[in-house]
Amino acid sequence: MKTMDCKDVLANLSSYTDGEGSDELRQALEEHISRCRRCRVVFDTTGTMLKIVTDAEPFDVPLSVSARLYARLEKVLSEG
Amino acid sequence: MQKDERANHDVPDKDDFLLVESVLAGERRAFEPLVRRHERRVFRVTLAILGNVEDAEEAMQDTFVKAFRHLDQFRKESRFTTWLTRIAINEAIQKRNTRKNFVPLEQAENAEKNFTPRRYEPWKSNPEQLYGKQEIHRFVEEAIQSLPEIYREAFVLRDVEELSAEEAAAALEISVPALKSRLLRARLMMREALAEKFEEPPTLKTKIVHTALDAGTAVAMRLMRAAGR
Repeated sequence: MKTMDCKDVLANLSSYTDGEGSDELRQALEEHISRCRRCRVVFDTTGTMLKIVTDAEPFDVPLSVSARLYARLEKVLSEG
Repeated sequence: MQKDERANHDVPDKDDFLLVESVLAGERRAFEPLVRRHERRVFRVTLAILGNVEDAEEAMQDTFVKAFRHLDQFRKESRFTTWLTRIAINEAIQKRNTRKNFVPLEQAENAEKNFTPRRYEPWKSNPEQLYGKQEIHRFVEEAIQSLPEIYREAFVLRDVEELSAEEAAAALEISVPALKSRLLRARLMMREALAEKFEEPPTLKTKIVHTALDAGTAVAMRLMRAAGR
């Protein structure tokens, strides 16, 4: 089986998270993180970070911004 | 309305189509609910690209005005949200390119080329019990805002708006590999930015053990043995 060093793991971290890459590549990555604490932490916490971001639903439209949007659209919609 | 799963799954897009049809048939007021459904997404996209609320607001307004005036060009083969997002990205990018303090992409990319993680502590398993929802919301927004432009837009389009890599790359007019490489760095930077809030504080003992394991030197090995006593 192909072996990976920490640099390879980091380079392939995103693809792995997104379910891409060949089976061989995925296995090599899994094998590396099972024996490398640092890579395992980076891998796990990147996953946790993505979950936190998704759950947080960032960036509401501020009320004043929304109000001005509708005011402008009101004008556009009532144009002939 | 049909009750099978596919029909349910399709409801939001179908509603968009119906509203678009009403507007095109002359019922202009039907544009308002369309705006309500999508204003948040458009705002997030323009803010991601422009980085400040004032510019994002202007680009958002221009996006909806343009969408309204060109609604007859919307083809139903694509989702309304994809079409609208693309207009929003174009508006924001155009606006950004005319800005005085705009940093050319190449320069921005080189500045961050060698990004490597610096924090290696695991994160706590229960963030929602440690912080309130509003607090986490704020941490996330601040972290996203702290990313350099090209990483911020890649991250928001992919991981917040959940566009595919191909869609995001096309919208930003970069190659898919370039998008993926920016996304990787963006994720690592986000992890780094949020680590302070979410990581487990290391005990002295684990600190020494990990230093020993990471460094692997004779000195560190001795430290580790000392810590074990």
